[in-house]
Amino acid sequence: MIKNLLCADFLKIKRKGFWFLTFLGPFGVVALQMVNYGVRKDYLLQQSNDEWGYYILNVSTFTPLALVLGVVILTSFMTSVENETNAWKQLIAFPVTKISVYLSKLTVLALLLFISSFLLMLFTLGFGMILELQGQIPYGKLLKHSFYPYFAVTPVLALQLWIAIVSKNQGVPIAVGVLGVILTYSAYLLPDWMIWKWPSLINEWDEPLINVLLGVGVGSLLYIIGMFDFVRRDVK
Amino acid sequence: MEYILETKELTKRFGKEEAVSKLDMKIKKGEIYGFLGPNGAGKTTTIRILLGLMKPTSGSIRIFQENLDTERISILKRVGSLVENPSYYPHLTAYENLEASRKILEVPKARIQEVLNIVGLSDVTNKKVKGFSLGMKQRLGIANSLMNNPELLILDEPTNGLDPSGIIEIRNLINRLANEAGITILISSHLLSEVDQLATTVGIINKGKLIFQDSIDVMRRYAQQSISIKVNDSEKARNMLFSNGIKTNYENGRILLPELADMEIAEAIRILVESGVSIYRVEEEKRSLEEIFLQMTREEEDD
Ligand SMILES: Nc1ncnc2c1ncn2[C@@H]1O[C@H](COP(=O)(O)OP(=O)(O)OP(=O)(O)O)[C@@H](O)[C@H]1O
Ligand SMILES: [Mg+2]
Repeated sequence: MIKNLLCADFLKIKRKGFWFLTFLGPFGVVALQMVNYGVRKDYLLQQSNDEWGYYILNVSTFTPLALVLGVVILTSFMTSVENETNAWKQLIAFPVTKISVYLSKLTVLALLLFISSFLLMLFTLGFGMILELQGQIPYGKLLKHSFYPYFAVTPVLALQLWIAIVSKNQGVPIAVGVLGVILTYSAYLLPDWMIWKWPSLINEWDEPLINVLLGVGVGSLLYIIGMFDFVRRDVK
Repeated sequence: MEYILETKELTKRFGKEEAVSKLDMKIKKGEIYGFLGPNGAGKTTTIRILLGLMKPTSGSIRIFQENLDTERISILKRVGSLVENPSYYPHLTAYENLEASRKILEVPKARIQEVLNIVGLSDVTNKKVKGFSLGMKQRLGIANSLMNNPELLILDEPTNGLDPSGIIEIRNLINRLANEAGITILISSHLLSEVDQLATTVGIINKGKLIFQDSIDVMRRYAQQSISIKVNDSEKARNMLFSNGIKTNYENGRILLPELADMEIAEAIRILVESGVSIYRVEEEKRSLEEIFLQMTREEEDD
């Protein structure tokens, strides 16, 4: 059942700009460094002996912001596909469970964001090579900075999806989303427990893996709560 | 009697308001069940509950002799539906819209073209639904409801907002589905005239309560209300009838006999003929079904 729903959901996101956004996010993040390194490459190379490490760090300054922005926009697009002509009633009057409908939506979003993260890795690597940075390519670090934020953003994804799916007024998820983007932008100032801080991979213990594990744990919890709330409610 | 759909004391409350109240709906196989009621009567709410889109506050539903609460998926595999305004994905073509449903329903690809032919949309197969007229969207909605070859079709006001020719088109379509494919159909409307020539059974809901449920023939019997007679001398005629124990009313130059058996009417005519009154016309005054429907829903309000 879930496979069928996934196929249908991938069909429904055609021509809606989902794939373009999936590409635009990581491209934008690396493009900022193209500008940065284009303007003041010599200065930047002097900042550290570890040219690759410093470059990856620069790229990842904007990763959390792009990721949270992507989550907000994609979840909103995703639910608007069904909200537009109130297709929820048609979808759920099919022989499917509400649990699988919800899971399918989440899976599509998670897959798109995963592709984004993968593209981020490719683009980062590609532009780094074009820059002819000195030293060994730190693949471990590259992987970490491309995929850790992806896992750490899970709670934001679960929360946005939940709000977007159950809200009658789509202003609510947009408002929460904008607030989330602002919070992500000010991650340095936030206490460690706030989920919008997690994609930045910063915490008191200086251990990014904590954000990843917390992200997946709390994200799953929020996902389950949202799903049961969706199941419990009458269809819009 | 085996019913294809049967509800028992179905109730749905929104806060304090009871939108559906102790509904006992019964639909037999092969029927076209006209589900009638004025705006806000509870038709859509009932239909949403029947499709598992809403949970009833209390009461039970059996469809195909199975409990909807526990067998929802296996029941819905055999049901097609269209609830309120048609839903569709405007950025997709008619074909893609049905393809999205097809993937979920796991029916063969050929079914898409079949249902498009049935509803007469085969020449716009690859056009985006965005540009469709309301009637075309409605037909696409019906095509969608037919994708899984349903045994029971539930249509909520499928003619809402259509022009007269669109209404007739949909009506013919529904007739064909019932007669040729043998599908049992539940169709809701707030106008009796829309299901009049269609329905075999009528259920009338008002303020959440089912106030009438029987065959359309029984409903029609309510319509044969009185016999009106036009004569040359109404005064004399009425006196003659009255002295023979037949009470009459007088309206617009016609004598009205209340609903009487055939023999009694024959008797009344005989009396008039024998008394030398010239009889110009004897007619059956039919109230239209619409009037009966309105009266039924009004009577409830007076209670
Ligand atoms: N989600 C809801 N929350 C609160 N009240 C509701 C909800 N849905 C329906 N109602 C109320 O239930 C009653 C019945 O509504 P319903 O939509 O079932 O009527 P209807 O017979 O379909 O009317 P119409 O002919 O206008 O479509 C109305 O008074 C409506 O206000
Ligand atoms: Mg309605």
